[in-house]
Parts: sequence; structure tokens; C-alpha cells
Amino acid sequence: MKQHRNFWFFLGTLLLMILAVPAATSHAASGTFKVGMEAGYPPFNWTQNDASNGAVKIQGNSTYANGYDVQMAKKVAKSLNKKLVIVKTEWDGLQPALTSGKLDAIIAGMSPTAQRRKAIDFTDTYYHSKLVIIVRKNSKYAQATSLKDFKNAKLTAQLNTYHYTALNQIKGVIKEPAMKDFSAMRVALESGTIDGYVSEKPEGISVTSANPNVKMIEFKGTNGFKTNPEDTDLAIGLRKNDPDRVKINAALAKISQSERDKIMDNAVNEQPKTNGDSENWFVAILKQYGNMLLKGTGVTLLISMVGTIVGFLIGLLVAIIRTIPVAGNRFRRGLLKVVDWLLSVYIEVFRGTPMIVQAAVLYYGAAQAFGWNMDRLVAALLIVSINTGAYLSEIMRGGIISVNAGQFEAAHALGMTHLQTMTKIILPQAVRNSLPAVTNEFVINIKDTSVLSIISVSELFFTGSTIAGQNFQFFHTYLVICLIYLVLTFTITRILRLVERRLDGPQNYNVMANQNQVSAPTDNN
Amino acid sequence: MTSLLEVNHLEKTFGTHKVLKDINLQVKPGEVLSIIGSSGSGKSTLLRCINLLEQPTSGAINFHEQNILANNFNVTDYRAKVGMVFQSFNLFNNLDVLQNCTIGQTTVLHRDAAEAKKIALEQLETVGMAPYINAKPAQLSGGQMQRVGIARAVSMSPEVLLFDEPTSALDPEMVDGVLDSMRALAHTGLTMILVTHEMAFARDISDHVVFMDQGVIAEEGTAEQIFENPQEERTKTFLKRYLNRV
Repeated sequence: MKQHRNFWFFLGTLLLMILAVPAATSHAASGTFKVGMEAGYPPFNWTQNDASNGAVKIQGNSTYANGYDVQMAKKVAKSLNKKLVIVKTEWDGLQPALTSGKLDAIIAGMSPTAQRRKAIDFTDTYYHSKLVIIVRKNSKYAQATSLKDFKNAKLTAQLNTYHYTALNQIKGVIKEPAMKDFSAMRVALESGTIDGYVSEKPEGISVTSANPNVKMIEFKGTNGFKTNPEDTDLAIGLRKNDPDRVKINAALAKISQSERDKIMDNAVNEQPKTNGDSENWFVAILKQYGNMLLKGTGVTLLISMVGTIVGFLIGLLVAIIRTIPVAGNRFRRGLLKVVDWLLSVYIEVFRGTPMIVQAAVLYYGAAQAFGWNMDRLVAALLIVSINTGAYLSEIMRGGIISVNAGQFEAAHALGMTHLQTMTKIILPQAVRNSLPAVTNEFVINIKDTSVLSIISVSELFFTGSTIAGQNFQFFHTYLVICLIYLVLTFTITRILRLVERRLDGPQNYNVMANQNQVSAPTDNN
Repeated sequence: MTSLLEVNHLEKTFGTHKVLKDINLQVKPGEVLSIIGSSGSGKSTLLRCINLLEQPTSGAINFHEQNILANNFNVTDYRAKVGMVFQSFNLFNNLDVLQNCTIGQTTVLHRDAAEAKKIALEQLETVGMAPYINAKPAQLSGGQMQRVGIARAVSMSPEVLLFDEPTSALDPEMVDGVLDSMRALAHTGLTMILVTHEMAFARDISDHVVFMDQGVIAEEGTAEQIFENPQEERTKTFLKRYLNRV
């Protein structure tokens, strides 16, 4: 009976390890007003390195957010008598983060479209704008005055915005695939892959002030896009039936049009500009963002290392359970079968779905469905560990099976139990044999943690995106990021290979000199 | 004298193939028993049934008059008393020579580390492997590994020691060293059951010889009876083939 109880305890512990998601959750204080934005959409919102011009610190990060949205958010938070917290969130993550309670409001240059209104509520307008087209100054479209002039032009706009659907109003336009953000479109425009992109006026003001080679085409009267006022207006996104909506509307009503214009003017002037000085780009990036890069590298290393080690332990445990010989009474056999089936499900699910989806489901889904509000880093560690565990459990199982049957027999013949045989004889060999595969998994983890940017973990890739969003030097910034990844993976591979060689010891054995007095062996080898 | 080990009506079937048929055998304390026979005669399977590396299909095996096939029999305790030396050595690859000889003592017999080391060193010295205590199995030759295998088994102070073709995987020049170690053990009065193709050696050291053919015991007797004056035709044919080859 005791044995069964131990087994249940063991099984319970294992299930807890796999399913103990809520252990690491926390609940936010109600005295804060958590506002989500990309912090990469100037002049509405952007990231900067200091608190100048009334910038607000970004949560869980050493950088600051500023822009029209930030200044409006400050006023709203003040009227609510709450502390403003800026949460940097990717555009596609904004709505799930709001509905799951990770945010209290979206102030991110978002328009209150009918489709969005199905999922979330909006306040009254806090900014009104109109659509423009950004083109290169030296292109034939620079002189355009009407939408008709854009026949045969290759145009695009941001993904999931009404800017992109507005392209349908231009007859004969070549619609390029929608792009993720303005930064990407700026690069595409400059490189010539597109002739222009549709955006709202503030982006036009900011890009023309940052880059002298581009021009903003504004349209007069009926020459331009026909837009739904709902689209050109920007409003604050709130959860359905948020009781604070009335208060926020009242606060917005107090901000006059001239005050709004002034805030926008300031934002356009204060937004980060591409620096045109001739300092070596590599040195410039390291100098300006060295600390951020170091932190990002640290987070990437932390997640991949902890994920690999915990994943290795999970994998080992699963492999040990799955290699228990099927013997004993019917109850024990049945139980083993059920556990084995559960573990197969775990392995199939986590090997069979992308980690990026797992991260989104765990972080946003768990919050929305069960109200579990976990720390991003904890969620990242959990996902990488569980995911790695699924891969390594099969590798470790192979490692155990591949140990020569004679090793089991010799241990059993000495009178060892299955557990003693495993811990003293089999596992040390299985672990050694699977070390190259574990190294491989570590390297994969270093690279694959980049998908965790979906839940805004500031690992290396996310850091890179942040930097590129500030300096607009995409090629150079990502080249630096690429280099850091390469250095990480190369160093770690070398270190672990050294460990393997250490474990194996020398190939030949020299009989020690101080043991010469012992009778010599009859054969020499 | 009563038997230390007694095999009664033992049968072993692999699928539909009957490997052992109605085997009856007695081993007295201090006796050296050799099991001879051609490949596939079932002699290794019989040996592996004795320490339960194979589960017999039916029949009984009694050790000190206790049935080891009974449901509540403590198999691990029994195996600790019945040592085994394997054809392919099966030294623990992750452990060095000394650890190979102490691990069973400390984990199964719960001897303290110092005592286990002392016993292991004695046995390693007996087989001439003391200079290699820190070597890993991969660094040794086959003959050296098998002598460590013997020291490992003897370190457990077994009541019976089983040898499963201990020299079959060795180069000819390595065989003598291993046989010398076994001969020395036989002289200490240890009960030994030996499956072997070394006929001359079996004739020298055995008190009792069993000839197996196609899963049954075809003939048994003292070493003189079997080797000098075999009664059965198939024993004669087998021995002729072997003795001619030597």
C-alpha cells in the first residue's frame, strides 16, 4: 500500500509541475492606470532612453515612452487620480491584453472601428486626423494632388488598419502586402520596394521631419480618400462597460482643440530623429544602446538556460516514468498505462504546436479565461521549460533505451532494484549519451526565445526591435543582434563540448607509478 | 548433504519454442558444476533462469529449500547471494574499476564505503587488476574486463557464482588469465555453476558435469564419468568434435 501511495504522490508532483501555472501569478494594484501602446508609432508614441520632455517609464524596462498618446494618458490618469503605468505592447497584442485585464486602456493611435467595437468599448475622440500618402521626393508621385494620380503605383499601409482598405479607393493601384508597422514601411519606401504608403497625417509630419528624402501628399476636398469619421478619429480603447468611461470622457472634454494641437506640435518636434552624423554605425549603436543590448542578451541567456535546465529535468523525469518496466499487479499496470498516455499527450501537444502560439495561449489565454495574471518573465520561463521538456523527454527516453541491455542485467544480477539500477548505472550513461542533443536544444532555445516578443518579454530580439523602432536603422541594428546571437550560440557549443570531453576522460589508462609494488598484470595492453 | 540449489521440472518457452524441457538439477554447497553442450542447447538460458534474468515458464527452483519463484520471494536479496559473470563482461561503463566492485556492496549489502573498498581491493589484487583501480572499462582489454567482472561478483561474497561462457568473447591469449582466476576461486570452496566451451578446464575443476542437448539434460555425472566414459551417443559425438578441435 505504501508503494502505491508513494506512486500517487509522485504522479501528483509531476502533474503539479506541468500544470502549476497559477502559482506564479499576481494581481495588480487597483491604484494604477495601465495603458498599452506600441511605443514605436511617433508622434503618437515612441520609446526614448531618458525622462526628458515629460516621458513616462515603461513597465519592466529601463526605457521611457513619450508622444501625444503618453501626454493624453497622463491627463486621463490624473483625472482618474491613478498612477499611470505604460505597458509596451505589440499592436496585435493590444486587444487581447486589454480584454484579459493586463491593460486598463489602449491609447495607441487606435481608431474606434465597428469591428473593434464588437470586442471593446471606446471613449470619445482624443485626436482627429486624415489620410495622406507618403512618397519619395524624387519619384513621379511627388507632384500628385489627387488619388487618380496614383494609378499603377505600388502602395501599402499598416496591417489591420483602415488605411489598407482605403487603398481600394484608388483605381488601378498595385496593392502591396500590408506591413507590420511604420518603421517597416519607411524602410520599404526608401529601398524602393514600394512607391508610397497610406497613413494618417501625424505620421506624415513626423516622417518628413525625420527624413528629408520623403514627401507627404495631402489631398484637398474630394480629391482624397472618403473616410468614415469613426476611422479618422482616434479614441481610447476600454474594456466593455468600464465604469471609468464617463470620467475619462469628461476629462477629454476639458482638453480644448488648441491644447490638443499644441501637444501634437510638441510631439512632432520631440520625437526621435534619425541621426545624420558620420560616427561609425556599429560604435554608435553600442554606445547608445549598449546597456539595453546587454540586458536583452542577459534575459535571452536566462530564459534559454533556465528553460533548458528545467526542461532537461522534466524530460528526464518523463523518460524515467515512461521506461518503468510493465510488471506487477493489474492496478499498477493500469496506472502506468494511464500515466504513460497522459505523458504522450503532453509530448504531442507541446511538440506539435509552435512555441509562439503556446506563449500567446498561456499568457493571454490564461489571463482571459481564468484571470491568471502572471509575470511575463515567469510565463516565458514556464513556456520554454515545458516546451523543452517535451522535446528532451523523447531524447532522454532514447538515451535510456540505447544503454546496453547488459548494463541492466549486470545491475540486476548484483541485486539492485530498478530504481537503484536507474540512478546508479543507467541514467549517468543516458545523460552522457544525450548531452550533444541537450546542447543542441540549448542553442535552439537561445534562438527561439525570440518568439517570446509576442508576450513582450524584453529578450534580445525584442530589444533589437525596440532599438530599431527608435533609430530606424533596421539593417544595422539587426546585424548587431545577429552577431550577438552568433557569439552566444558559438560560445555555448564550445563550452559544452569541453564538458563532454571532460566527462569522457582520457582514452588510455596509465598504470600509476606508485602502484608498481602490486603484482603486474599477466597481459599488457 | 542437502542441496544448496535445486531445480525441479523447469520449463522455459520463448513464444512457441521450448528452450528448456523438464530440467532437474541439484547443486551441493562447495560443488563446481559445469554445464556443457552445443550452442542453442539451452545451457545459457538455464543459467539465466537460475538468477531470474529469465522468468521460467513452469517448474520450481529452490534455494536453501525456499522456492525462488514464489510470489512473495525477495528477488533482490536472492540475487545478491547469487553472483553472475557475463560472457560480454557488462562492467558498468560509467564507473571505474574500483567503483564497479564497490557499488553492489554499498547499495545492496549496505556495507560502509571503507569496508567495501577493502574487500574490492582484495579481490582485485587476487585477479591481478589492482593496478587499474581508476581505469574506466573502455580503457581495458577484454581479459582485464573479465577479471574485473569476477572481482565484482566475488566482492559481493556470494554463496553461488554463475559463469556464463566467461571466456567465449576473449582473444585466445587472454583466456588463461581468466581461467587462472576461476581455478583459484574453485579452490576456495565457493559453489560455482559454469557454462563453458573450455572442455579441458571443465574436466580439471568440475565435481559435477551436465551435458545438455536440445533443451534437456542428456547426461550427467562426475567429470571422469562424462569425459572419460560417456554413455550416451550424443555426448560422445559432442565431445569428439570438441576434443578434436583442441
